[in-house]
Amino acid sequence: MSEGTKPPSPLYVLWILIERDLRTLVKSPWIVINRTLFFLIQLFVFAALVSQLATSLGFNYFDFYSVGAVVSTITSIAFIIGEDLFEEEEMGLLDYLLSLPFGHSLFVLGRALGGAVRGLIYVAPMMLLVAYLDGYSSPAGVLVSYAILFVLATGISGLSITLAMLIRNANRFDIMIALAELATVRVSAAIYPIYFMPQVIQPVAAYSPVTSASDLVRAIVLGTSAGVQETVVLILFVAIFFGLGSAFLFRKIEGGRFE
Amino acid sequence: MIEFRDVWKTFKNVDAVRGVSCTIEDKEVFGLLGPNGAGKTTLIMTMATVYRPTKGEVVVDGHSTSTEPDRVKELLGISFQDPKYDRVLSAREILQWHGKVTGVEKGVREKRIDEVLEKFGLTHEAKKRTWMLSGGTKKKIENAKVFVQRPRVAVFDEPTAYLDVPSRLMVWDMIDGLRDEGSTVVLATNMMDEADRMSARVGIMSRGEMVQVGTPSALKGTLKGRDIIEMKLEVPIPELPGEVSKVEEVNDAHYEGQVLKVVLSNGRELLPHMINVVTAKGGKVQSVNLKEPSLEDVFLHYTGTSLS
Repeated sequence: MSEGTKPPSPLYVLWILIERDLRTLVKSPWIVINRTLFFLIQLFVFAALVSQLATSLGFNYFDFYSVGAVVSTITSIAFIIGEDLFEEEEMGLLDYLLSLPFGHSLFVLGRALGGAVRGLIYVAPMMLLVAYLDGYSSPAGVLVSYAILFVLATGISGLSITLAMLIRNANRFDIMIALAELATVRVSAAIYPIYFMPQVIQPVAAYSPVTSASDLVRAIVLGTSAGVQETVVLILFVAIFFGLGSAFLFRKIEGGRFE
Repeated sequence: MIEFRDVWKTFKNVDAVRGVSCTIEDKEVFGLLGPNGAGKTTLIMTMATVYRPTKGEVVVDGHSTSTEPDRVKELLGISFQDPKYDRVLSAREILQWHGKVTGVEKGVREKRIDEVLEKFGLTHEAKKRTWMLSGGTKKKIENAKVFVQRPRVAVFDEPTAYLDVPSRLMVWDMIDGLRDEGSTVVLATNMMDEADRMSARVGIMSRGEMVQVGTPSALKGTLKGRDIIEMKLEVPIPELPGEVSKVEEVNDAHYEGQVLKVVLSNGRELLPHMINVVTAKGGKVQSVNLKEPSLEDVFLHYTGTSLS
């Protein structure tokens, strides 16, 4: 290394990788604006109106939905990392990133965490707004909610990276990402309770990581019940898809492309 | 020192690199020549640890890319053929990020960024998002990453593509500067004048193989008997071709109009003698032109393929 240069520590590299993902998100404000508007309209128009319908059933839909809206938003943001990687691979940017002085495993970890951190930063104010609207005020509880959202986002990032590494065709990838996002959010208890769903879907939704994250955050903010099963599902989801994402990214890296 | 030891890289059933063995010395500018698809970029990517060799080994400063890839990557900086960075970011942000990730300390980093931006005339465009900039400017930013990093081994893939003449000269000057500071430079190029001017030695790749390595002059010297002396005579004398052909090094001599064309070895050394032979037979020489084999001729000879 030349004078004035020293190898960066792994932690610093991790931070730089995450910072890059944050910077590129901030530089694409339309994504942030689009999803923020969607969140606010869904909350204050859709949820408020449906809540009036559901009140007759003795069910506070607004509170239920508000937490689910935060969970589905972070899910949606975490999926973007796969789109980024797919684009980077297409543009050859991945070659540059992999030539930089850090290990491939650190790169995979950095990207999955980058996807999760930017999702968390993005929904942090939304979570505060929801806690305020739902009358919840414990800072510790909000922090635990952030931790749950972060864990979910890490797993979703892994799932998104897995899809990006598995699919070569851009159109097919767009369709698969949209379907995966739709499936993880809609086949879950994020925006409606499981017992209202068709019976065939209920067992799937019960073991959805989005359901688990939604139920765990609701347990904190709304005082509903959730516990071991939700926690186990969430951790398993992260372990499986973070592992798969890493494995497929490794395979892609080592497979290379012909010049 | 960089050592390629019987390096092979196979993608599915295609051998992109086939048994490359060569050594690049410290502080040397090594030109890597070859047409598209010759395997230059794959070889560079293998050296950069992005690809793992299917067979063989690349060793950079005593560290194998297969067993110590992270150590090797600390030594390398690559300027890619097509600019590779986040185009939503500005030139300064790109250089700052690259400097950070390659471990350039903050004070040094900012100073180098300012210097490089100024040299490339990019100071006023440093805050613009790079997707808005011209192809030449994007290429300058790609090169600037390596000049900010100043790595021990600097790799440039077509560094002057898309650049105007002053910018090309600037890049060449800056590459010379890197070498003078102690960097080893690998220069992959299609431009013969660039390889000839910049490289201490040149490696010619064709169809995945390194077909020839040597200094530009030594490589040109391998094409014996291909020098051409053209002498324009006031009046062509019919017996002159036969007369000059008596010289052992001459392979062919004939007239093209008023011009006596002599194909021979060691043309530069034999030029005075050839003029003497002509004048001794009463020939009046109006002008003389010596053509020696170019690097492109060398390339054509060893690969059977034109670079363009």
